[in-house]
Order: sequence, then structure tokens, then C-alpha cells
Amino acid sequence: MATTNPIAEPSSLSPPPSRALLVALSAMPPEQLETLLSQIAASLPIDNILIASPDPMPASASPALQIVTSGSINPSWILTATDFANAYELALKHGCKAVVLLGSGSSSIRSSGLRDLAETVLSSQCDLAVPCYEIPPQAGLVNSSILYPLTRGLFATRVRFPLPVDLGLSFRMAERLALAARRLIAQNQPDAPLWAVSEATVAGMTVEEVDVGQRELPQPAALDLNAILPLVTGSLFADIEAKAAFWQRARVTPSARKPIPLVSPSPADATAEVASLLQKFQLAYSNLREIWGLVLPPNSMLGLKRLAHCDAGAFRMSEQLWARIVFDFLVAYRLRSINRGHLLGALIPLYLAWVAGHLNSIASGANAERHIEALASAFEADKAYLVARWRWPDRFNP
Amino acid sequence: MLSILAAALQAQPATTPQPLYADNASILKHMSEALHQSLFRVVSLLIAVLPGLLAFFVALIVFTVVGMAISAFLRRGLALVKFDDRLSHYRESGGWNPANSPTQIVARSSFWGCVLLGLIIGVSAFDASFASAGELSISLLPYLTHAVGAIFLLIAGTLVARFLARSVLIGAVNAQLQYARFLSLGVKWLVLVLTAAMVLNHLEIGGVVVSLAFGILFGGIVLTLALAVGLGSRDLVSRSLESRVVGTPEHGTDTQPGSHSAHSETFRHF
Repeated sequence: MATTNPIAEPSSLSPPPSRALLVALSAMPPEQLETLLSQIAASLPIDNILIASPDPMPASASPALQIVTSGSINPSWILTATDFANAYELALKHGCKAVVLLGSGSSSIRSSGLRDLAETVLSSQCDLAVPCYEIPPQAGLVNSSILYPLTRGLFATRVRFPLPVDLGLSFRMAERLALAARRLIAQNQPDAPLWAVSEATVAGMTVEEVDVGQRELPQPAALDLNAILPLVTGSLFADIEAKAAFWQRARVTPSARKPIPLVSPSPADATAEVASLLQKFQLAYSNLREIWGLVLPPNSMLGLKRLAHCDAGAFRMSEQLWARIVFDFLVAYRLRSINRGHLLGALIPLYLAWVAGHLNSIASGANAERHIEALASAFEADKAYLVARWRWPDRFNP
Repeated sequence: MLSILAAALQAQPATTPQPLYADNASILKHMSEALHQSLFRVVSLLIAVLPGLLAFFVALIVFTVVGMAISAFLRRGLALVKFDDRLSHYRESGGWNPANSPTQIVARSSFWGCVLLGLIIGVSAFDASFASAGELSISLLPYLTHAVGAIFLLIAGTLVARFLARSVLIGAVNAQLQYARFLSLGVKWLVLVLTAAMVLNHLEIGGVVVSLAFGILFGGIVLTLALAVGLGSRDLVSRSLESRVVGTPEHGTDTQPGSHSAHSETFRHF
């Protein structure tokens, strides 16, 4: 199990001088660490930053870098509660005004991206700097289908990656997130993800998105989708449930800060995968109808019935249907209509159906980002349905 | 000698020997007596049991009313002191829904606590009066308690069967097993058969026959499932074994067979 306070003392006996920025790194291979340290040295004022890493420093690291060793941390593909708690402890101990958390594989971020992330959070205007990654249209599909639209629909924020691998935090934001992280650790969930964007929105803190360019997103190594999707969606649903008093109030989403990029078509053709994904959905439709019927209204069930008889080439799941499905699963999660493990497991084939439709949409030449934006807009437009069902669930039972 | 014989003949009835109930009036009289005695016994038993039964219902009703009063009092009192708000302040979520707010939980707990107390007192009073009623108490009351235990067993078994059936169904569908429903049904009936056997055993019905029937049924279901799964997933198992034995990248991935990989060649979930 990860430790909560794995801070090693710096060699000097006198109190350490306060620094502007703490850069907390995740565990990574030595060559990646070496690259990242050189990028940090090139892009940030090294005399005013403190770097914390769980790994031993490479011999080639610049001696000017102020480095402390944080304790052994379980390497994870996301930032976990333990990471936030540790980073805050370090920032408090060393008097840092801001924190930049860099997750696994952060050596793939370009130097300007690192600099922008740090500068955004060092300015007094911003509490949370969230990176916006440039990823291929067929990557990050869980984020595109569930995490981003749901966060935007409910919390009225356009942050494209609500579960980022890197983050910039002001000291007060780090303090608040550490508080939330400690709660999770106390509940024996040290490896649970923390939803920094919704936390900042609820606290009324300033959130800013920073373009960091391309980044190799770390992938969960050993687990399969059947384990990871329930983990991530369950965590998000629990966070939404805890913040229900906030998001039920009407809010206006700010306008888009940049036009939708014209993404070049991906060289890899994923249409071959569509048939396989559809088979999985059709198998689930023939077996899980009764369970879905406990969660979804007849209208959604009718939509799924039509989809189950669709040809692979023409298969598309409408944005409205997917938004309703996610909202109904969220309400069922809150009401515990069925066991939560069963509920989140039953969502997997539906998600795969959405992926099939999305891949078809990309293959037909549509802009993937535009499709995702349309989906997020559908979530926003249908928020009233969620609020009504959340408040008066007994008025309608599927 | 002749005088003795004459006396004997005179002592015997003049007519032919009569049956025990000679006429209709006598039969009715005996039936009536039997019925009266039976009715008397049952009424006596009822009279002996009735106070206990009344005590049971009175205790239950009185404690239910008391529970309702305490619940209403607590609900109002806790609303006055803003119990929910104070607790949500500590909980820091602020998202109590009316159905399970702390006030509601406390009020409902107090109500059902009172009902349970009334039930215990009522059963105790009924038990005391029934014990003095006669020999029926030797067998009936323990049997009733067994029946209650059996009902609990049945409910628990049904719930467990449904839970396991759903778990297996969802897991099997997500693992892309074509016989997911069959597997789920098999598991459900395994648990239901086990539950039925336990219930009958608890009620002491059937004796050895139940154990025998259970063994045959349980074994039969397990054998059927084993055959079905074994025959149905031959390819799956052989692929799995092959990938384990060969262990080369071109022969397999790090994911289990049938599971969706978190990242594919052409698209990535994360």
C-alpha cells in the first residue's frame, strides 16, 4: 500500500528556503526521468523550483536542480489520492506557492507545455491549470464518451480532460485536494482517482486549460476494460453524487475558448474493430435486456433494440440516446436500483456500442472532435431530465 | 338341574341378540356426545390460548403506536435542531436526499425498534399462555419457530441466487461467452436447490429423501454445467493454454481471453 507521508529530508539541517514551485513526479523509468529533468531545466527557472521524485536521480541530472526524494509510490496511470496528499505535504514542508504534478510518461510533453502549465499556476489568477492534450481521434474514448460530456454537462466547464495525468495547482487548491485525498485514504481508497476539476468548480476556484501539445497517455498495464471502466465511472458517479447540491443549480457553460481543431485522419482504420464491438453489444442485448430494463426507460430500450438490428456499416448511436443512457445509469447508481457492481458492469457493452458508432463516424470522414462536442452539447441540453429524475425518482420507474 | 336350566333360559332376553346401537336415537346421542366433547376440548384450548393471542396483538399495536409517536417526535425535534445540516457539515458532501437523510434514518430506526420490541413481548406472552394450554405446545410452537427460520432461509437463499445469477450473467457477457444465460441459470438453480434442501431439512420434512434428492439434483446440475462449459469453451481454453505455453508476443497479449483489452491496435479506451 502506498504511504501517505513518504518525504525524505533534504540534507541541510537548517530550515529549507521557500520556493515558488514544487514539481512532483510520478515513478518512471530512468531514461524517461532523465529526459524530463532536462526538459524541466530547459523550460523552468531551476533556482526557484523543487523537484520531488520517488526514483533515484540519474547521474546526468543537473546539479543545480533542487531535488528531494519522495517515498515509494505505487506507479499508476492516473493521479491518485496518495499523489495529491503527498504533493501537498511536500509543498507545505518546503513553503512552495504552487505545485505541478506530472504523471507517468510526462517526458513526452514538450518543454513549452511544461512551462505554460507552471506559468499558468504561478500567476495569481489561476488555481487549477488543467492540460489539454493533443491525442489521436481514436484515443481517450472513455474520456470522450463519459468523463468529458458528463463533467461539462453537470459542472458547466469546458475542460476537455477532467481526469488529466498532469496538473498545476495553487497552494490553496493543493490544500483542498489534499483534504479530499485524505478522506479517500481514510476510506482505504488510496489509489482512487480524484476529480480535481469538479472539486475546483464547487470551491469556486479558477480553472484554466493549458494546451500542452501531444502527450503519450499512460495506459493501464495489466487490467482489462471490464475492471477499469467500472472503477473510473464508479468514482465519477460517486463524486457527482457527493456534489449533487452544487450541480443541480442551473449554470451556463462558458463559450469555447478555441475553435474545434481539424484533426487529420488517423492512419489506422478502426472499422475492422466495429464488427467485433457490435458482436459484443448484440450478445449483451440478447442477455442483459432484463437488467438494462431495470435502469433504462422504454424509449431507450427501443433505441437499443433498433441498434441491435443495425448493420455494422450503418451503426451509429445518437448523442441523445447515449446521454440518456449515462444519465439513467447515474440515477440508478444513486438509487441503488441494482447492485452498483452489476450496474457498472452492465454499462460496458453500451459503451462499446458507442465506441463502434464513434469509429464508424470517424471512418465516414466526420470530424471526431466535432462529434464529441455534439455529444457534450447533448448532455448539457438533457441536464433537466437528470435533475428531474434525481429529485423525484419515484415519478418514473422504468 | 331342570330348574337351573329354566332359570338360565329365563335370564336371557326373549328376542334375538341386539347390536350395540339398537336405534337411530342412540346413534345420534353418541355422535352428539362425541362432538360435544371434541368441541369442548377445542373451545377450552382456544379459551386458554386466546388471552395470549390478544396479548400478542395488544403488545404489537401498543408498541407500534408508541413507535409512531417517538418517530414523529424525533423527526420534528431533529428538524428543529437542524440535525441534517449539522451532520452534512461534518460529512462535507451536503447532498442528503430526503429518502435517506439522517433524521429519517433515526426516526425509522426508532419506529422499527419499537415494533420489534412489541413483537418480542407479544410472542413472549403468547408463548407463556400457549405453554399452559395443553400438550399441543410441545410440538406446535417449536415448529412455528422452525418455520420462521425456514422463511428467513428461503428469502436469503433467493436473494443470494439472484445476486449470483446476475454477477455470472454480466461477467460472462462481458467475457463474451455465448452461453452466458445458461451459465447464469445454472448457478441460480444450484443455489435455489441448495436453499430448498436447507429449508426442508430445517423443517424436518422428508428426512433422507430430501438429502438424496438434493445430492442427485445438485450433482446433476454441476455435471451439466461442467459439460456445457467444457464443451462450449474448448476453443477458448485451448487458445488460453496455447498462449500461456508459447508466451510469444505474436501469439497472445497480456489480457485474459474473452476480456476487452484496455487498448486496441486501432483505438484506445484511455
